[in-house]
Amino acid sequence: MSPKDRGARNDDLDAEIQSHLDMDAKERIAHGESPEDAAAAARKEFGNVGIVKEVTRDMWGGGGFEQIWREVRYAVRSLLRAPGFAAVAILTLALGIGANTAIFSVVNGVILRPLPYPHPGDLVLITSQFPTLGFDQFPVDAAEFLEFRERNQSFSNVGAYYANAVNVGGESSPARVTSALASASLFPTLGVTPEVGRWYTDQETLPNAPPVAVLSDELWRSNFGGERSIVGQKVDIDGVQTQVVGVMPKGFDIHDQGVRIWLPLTLDPDSISSYRGGHYLNLVGRLKPGISLATARVQLEPMLAHWAQIDGGSAGVTPGQKGFVHTPNVKNHRLRYDDLLADIVGSAGRALWVLQAAVFLVLLIACANLANLLLMRAETRHKELVLRAALGAGRGRLVRQFLAESLVLSVAGAAVGLLVARWGLHALVLSNNAGIPRATRVGLDAHVLAYTLLLALGTGVVFGLAPMLRLNAGAMSLSLREAGSRTTSHASAARVRRALVVAEMALAVTLLVGAGLLLRSFQKLTRVDSGFDRSNLVTFNMVLPAARYADSLRRVALFEQITEQLGQVPGVQSATAMSGLPPRRQVNANDTRFEGYVTKPGIPPQNVDYYNYVMPNYFSTMRIPMVEGRSYGPMDGARSPPVVIVNQTLARLFYPGQSAVGHRIQPGGTVDTTQWFTIVGVAKDVKQGGVDAKTGTEIYLLNEQTPAYEGFAPRNMNIVVRSTLAPNVLSPSIRRIVSAVDPGLPIVGLRTMDEVFDDALARPRFLAELLVIFAVVALALAAVGTYGVLAYSVAERRREIGIRMALGASEGGVLTLVLRQGMTVALIGLAVGLIGALAVTRVVRSLLFGVQPTDPATFAAVGVFMLAVALVACVVPARRATRVDPLVALRLD
Amino acid sequence: MTKRHAPLTRIELLQGTLDLIILQSLRWGPRHGYGLLQIIRTMSHGVLQVDTGSLYPALHRLERQAWIEAEWNTSENNQRVRVYRLTTAGRKQLAVERSKWEQFSTAVAELFAAPPTEEA
Repeated sequence: MSPKDRGARNDDLDAEIQSHLDMDAKERIAHGESPEDAAAAARKEFGNVGIVKEVTRDMWGGGGFEQIWREVRYAVRSLLRAPGFAAVAILTLALGIGANTAIFSVVNGVILRPLPYPHPGDLVLITSQFPTLGFDQFPVDAAEFLEFRERNQSFSNVGAYYANAVNVGGESSPARVTSALASASLFPTLGVTPEVGRWYTDQETLPNAPPVAVLSDELWRSNFGGERSIVGQKVDIDGVQTQVVGVMPKGFDIHDQGVRIWLPLTLDPDSISSYRGGHYLNLVGRLKPGISLATARVQLEPMLAHWAQIDGGSAGVTPGQKGFVHTPNVKNHRLRYDDLLADIVGSAGRALWVLQAAVFLVLLIACANLANLLLMRAETRHKELVLRAALGAGRGRLVRQFLAESLVLSVAGAAVGLLVARWGLHALVLSNNAGIPRATRVGLDAHVLAYTLLLALGTGVVFGLAPMLRLNAGAMSLSLREAGSRTTSHASAARVRRALVVAEMALAVTLLVGAGLLLRSFQKLTRVDSGFDRSNLVTFNMVLPAARYADSLRRVALFEQITEQLGQVPGVQSATAMSGLPPRRQVNANDTRFEGYVTKPGIPPQNVDYYNYVMPNYFSTMRIPMVEGRSYGPMDGARSPPVVIVNQTLARLFYPGQSAVGHRIQPGGTVDTTQWFTIVGVAKDVKQGGVDAKTGTEIYLLNEQTPAYEGFAPRNMNIVVRSTLAPNVLSPSIRRIVSAVDPGLPIVGLRTMDEVFDDALARPRFLAELLVIFAVVALALAAVGTYGVLAYSVAERRREIGIRMALGASEGGVLTLVLRQGMTVALIGLAVGLIGALAVTRVVRSLLFGVQPTDPATFAAVGVFMLAVALVACVVPARRATRVDPLVALRLD
Repeated sequence: MTKRHAPLTRIELLQGTLDLIILQSLRWGPRHGYGLLQIIRTMSHGVLQVDTGSLYPALHRLERQAWIEAEWNTSENNQRVRVYRLTTAGRKQLAVERSKWEQFSTAVAELFAAPPTEEA
């Protein structure tokens, strides 16, 4: 039936019923009634014209779409008659579905979206492991890379890269951008071709090849105007005139590093042996067709077993022992394979799934609330339902009507929810992108929209089913007489309502416990002793271009000059420089000789986690106390006997039960292998590798001594200024001083040390904040649910309460009666929730810091908080009950 | 309005019967809804009072099943009315419904005619 036909039939039906009413009225007039009385009587005799028409139209049948359309129109009309109910329902759903959509778009963008390469599932990250050193994932060295390409059977191609930063642009205003030094094979491995120009060749990665670079689309547009003519031109990169040979397509990156420029990883196959032990490369391999990651892992074992022999050593020999060659082996230096995407997502995956689960629980609670609302609405519409049934409307029709109503609500809720999600994503996720990888991939794409639609339909069906329980509970067998009278309470419906509230409370409690645990973890993280006084410290980073600062002495002199001038700025107490900035340092794991130390199994190998090149006033500026011995002093000059300061962890590990001071060590790379560095002091531990990680071993080397003894000096230093002035106040002085020394040096990451630590805690903060928001929303929904059910029950029991009061029950008695009813439900919910939390919080164990998943304080606090909220939710309807006027209540029926 | 206070179970029972009553009443010639109500009341001497509200859904249902058909006519009072008539299929259906009803009423009658047993 076309809509036009249907319109005509509607008119027909109207006319038919009108003619019936007219005939009846005429008949009554003929019997002597007045025309007004006759018309009214005819109408009364006929019954509810609207509902009769409705049920009659149902008999016409029609196609599926038409039926659906009819139900939808009917549902919309019926909801418009209850705008308050509709608004509450739609807003609740908008929040629930919106929050779910927002979190799912993060899960989708970060975890589910494949990497933007062809056949991304075949890409494997290849790194190394040092079980004896406790390093689970570590870079590989260049010799291993070159040999691995030759020896492996599992990968069709393997590329190597490491991320760094370079200064791009002219002498005056260089930009500091993230760079990657990559082998020519990385790009065929990833399977991406440049958008403009070409990728560099293997020849261009050989020593003495003319310098070339490939730009990212982002850098090309932001710094070179997106001109295709850039290819073939030369740009200044770290002081070297470098020819641009290509531009990569938009979004091309490796391991979420945000690489803006790609430079050849220069490797000389002839000096392979000199590369051993220098671990700095990450490898990406593409699995051969038909080979799975599991197969590749199996094939790895025989390769590792024979590797050492090919290189002239014996397999499985401990470092330092005879026959040891620093190559991968089965035992103490292994290679590991990880799915590239899984490795990028890393531990963020669990955090995001926890958030997704939490926000889903919020939606479940919202659904329970709506189910209760619909249930109560069904009670009040009972009369209408029975009437429809009496006129011949089938139960299927009634069920369809309920579903249509709930689906109209949920789809409307989802539509508003999309707006909520857009806003939420912007406010919460994108402003927090330091905390999660692949944040740039997060957005409302087709997958997210499909998920939202699915949620809308799912929630609609779930809470739409609630009133149907009521229908099945015998609505159809109820008498019309009962339908005509005031709705009576039905024990079964009341039980369903209470069960829903218990479930809401339990879910909210579980969420609260989870949120509480993560909040406490976050608080503990912020209170970790970083080992130095990080207040009133401003820091920034500088990298000296290798080309212009080939001379180590010049590097040392430059940093001395800058820190000395900074120290004289009014308001600055002191300024210093160091190579490693806590708390997010990459571990160095440098082989280091300890004088008189014999390596044997069971004692720590001669290796140090962190090398830090510092200036003499480092410890006083950072306010790191010396636990033993002395700090650097005037006696420590560039050519005086070399000294070293170690941290407490190193002293405890290598010199247990004795003083480390006076012992001698030899840092890796020392030019003269007979030269020993004397330990002059032990400094308090500093959290270099993360506030949540255990402190590693560390040595501090005096920057001015390194050119003489190590034959080099770091180009990359972090300047630290102790001052009560804010970074933006200090910034002009810093820029003036740095550009006076060398205008071609960019200042990077100027901020306070507190901000540096805040950034390091971005993810735990993000997780704790969102979970707390979700838990509070969940509790609020559960409280509203409790309130609603209790208020409804009080309204239902007004008569009973009125009788009690007429019989002399006190206000206190009535109050207690209602409160007991509400708090019983709340207590059961609390108990179920706490038991649920005990079972569930185990999944967040790996996200916790310094807090057990069963933390009694958190459980107790949640219990008290939840009961307080429940009490408030119960007191309002309870007080209303005490104001029942017995006379009015008794007259009600 | 008294009818609407009858138990729902009786309405359900009536529904099957309502079809039979309508089909049977149309055997005496085409009728509009209001006329049908009147003729049912008259022929049953006022015992059967069909609820107006349930008449039209039933008529439209029977029309969809093609047991009756409808057309617009002008009544003797010069009023446009929708008149229903029995179709061939409707006649067959009536025969079926009728034999069912007769079986049912015979069975009930025999039940009542059976000799009384001893009261417990």
